[in-house]
Amino acid sequence: MIYSSELIKGTLKTIILKLLKDNKRMYGYEITQTVKELTGGKIQLTEGALYPSLHALEAEGILVTETEYIGKRVRKYYSLSPEGKTITKEKLSELADFMNTMKFLLDLKTSS
Amino acid sequence: MYIISDEQITFILDDIRRNGVVMEDLQLNLLDHICCIIENELEENGDFRQFYFTTVKTFYKTELSEIEQETKALLNNKYYYQMKKSMFVSGTISASLITLGILFKFMHWPGAAAIVVLGISLFSLVFLPLLFTTRVKEKQSLKDKLILGTGTLIAIMISMAILFKIMHWPGANMMGVVSLLLMLIIYIPLYFFSGIKNQESKANTIITSILLIAGCGLFLALARAPHSSHALSVKDTSSYLRSELIYRTERRQTGEFVSGESFLKTSKELLTATDELKSDILEWETGVRFLDKDFESKNALISDGWMKIYFEQNEKAKIKLSELNTLLKKYNAEPDLLSYKQLNSIPEDITGFNRSEEKVLGALGNLVQLQMLVLQNLRELKESKISI
Repeated sequence: MIYSSELIKGTLKTIILKLLKDNKRMYGYEITQTVKELTGGKIQLTEGALYPSLHALEAEGILVTETEYIGKRVRKYYSLSPEGKTITKEKLSELADFMNTMKFLLDLKTSS
Repeated sequence: MYIISDEQITFILDDIRRNGVVMEDLQLNLLDHICCIIENELEENGDFRQFYFTTVKTFYKTELSEIEQETKALLNNKYYYQMKKSMFVSGTISASLITLGILFKFMHWPGAAAIVVLGISLFSLVFLPLLFTTRVKEKQSLKDKLILGTGTLIAIMISMAILFKIMHWPGANMMGVVSLLLMLIIYIPLYFFSGIKNQESKANTIITSILLIAGCGLFLALARAPHSSHALSVKDTSSYLRSELIYRTERRQTGEFVSGESFLKTSKELLTATDELKSDILEWETGVRFLDKDFESKNALISDGWMKIYFEQNEKAKIKLSELNTLLKKYNAEPDLLSYKQLNSIPEDITGFNRSEEKVLGALGNLVQLQMLVLQNLRELKESKISI
């Protein structure tokens, strides 16, 4: 089963930040592949969602980039800025908290 | 693993561009991404073109430029938040500066004017435009946007008028009255009739309109009516004319001075120099160098002129004032003045017109007083000499 894009949307930024926290620097394709592998294909990031988010995070100063030439093409590596590192922590604890709340909320409803 | 040739890279890049992706950063990201997919998933002897087109199709729903639109939307959102942030920051700073400036002004501490100017300028030229740009995005119809724009412009005008007023800069009253009238005649009706149609905003619209009208009314109540302005000017001018006529009579009665004596010579010089400065100021304020009883018909009225502005506009006037001050010092140091007990020296702050609050009427009054004091001393001197 692949999760719907609606479910992924709200957590996409956090996923990107967490991956960059663990892997120092990554490029777009690498991010999609890593997520696919780690989730056994359950979460597949679409290009149409990933790149807009990467650009926005860069504009916010949360991510910094370096470019490398691979033959004739350019590869853009993303990594966390110092500010991005603090934001990653906040986002991760926010999401963990949210997941607990959801669990609680939904369990409550199904049990009644 | 498939190996992509340079021509194929150019082909992909051209195709991305052709499909409406303009941002270079995004083009390069997509190019690398597609190349990675092809290299990893296409067999060595696979069909490049067919694989490329099926791959790129999975990137979008209807067209590739969706990705760019989404990116721009997210980036705009970012600028919007940054703008909102700077709006809050500039608003907080300007409000604090204005409050601080008013405190300084009340306490007569130095720097009050600079703080108030900075605070009001920041408020009207940074905060209000930012408030407009962030709010205008929330408004749907062109009409609402126009109303918001008019409101912002009028608010900027009102705060600038208040700034001009407290700094005694010219044109303040005109600006204030015009902006308040624009508010009453254009903005409030527009705002009221567009808001009242909507059931949700009806109550709020009525309350806000009442507050705005009452606020404008209170402000306009502070302003002097043109008629009473004129009446006040006539009263002030005839009061000054009376002092001036008393002085002229006194001067005639004092008679001619004996020339040659140093004290008499200085007295005469002082009276002449004062006459000249008086005429200069009077000409600047009313257009005539001498007042007569028919001043009202000539419309030669003393109104609200500020001495500070007079001296700022007239370099020569500053020189004349400092010459007068030198003469006054010389007068006060005259041996005759010091040796006869009945004579009084003239306080030198009588010509301190460069203070920010000094108006023309006050300055002219002081100058006449100076001349009267000179005449009094002359009479005292005459009588003392006769009694000896």
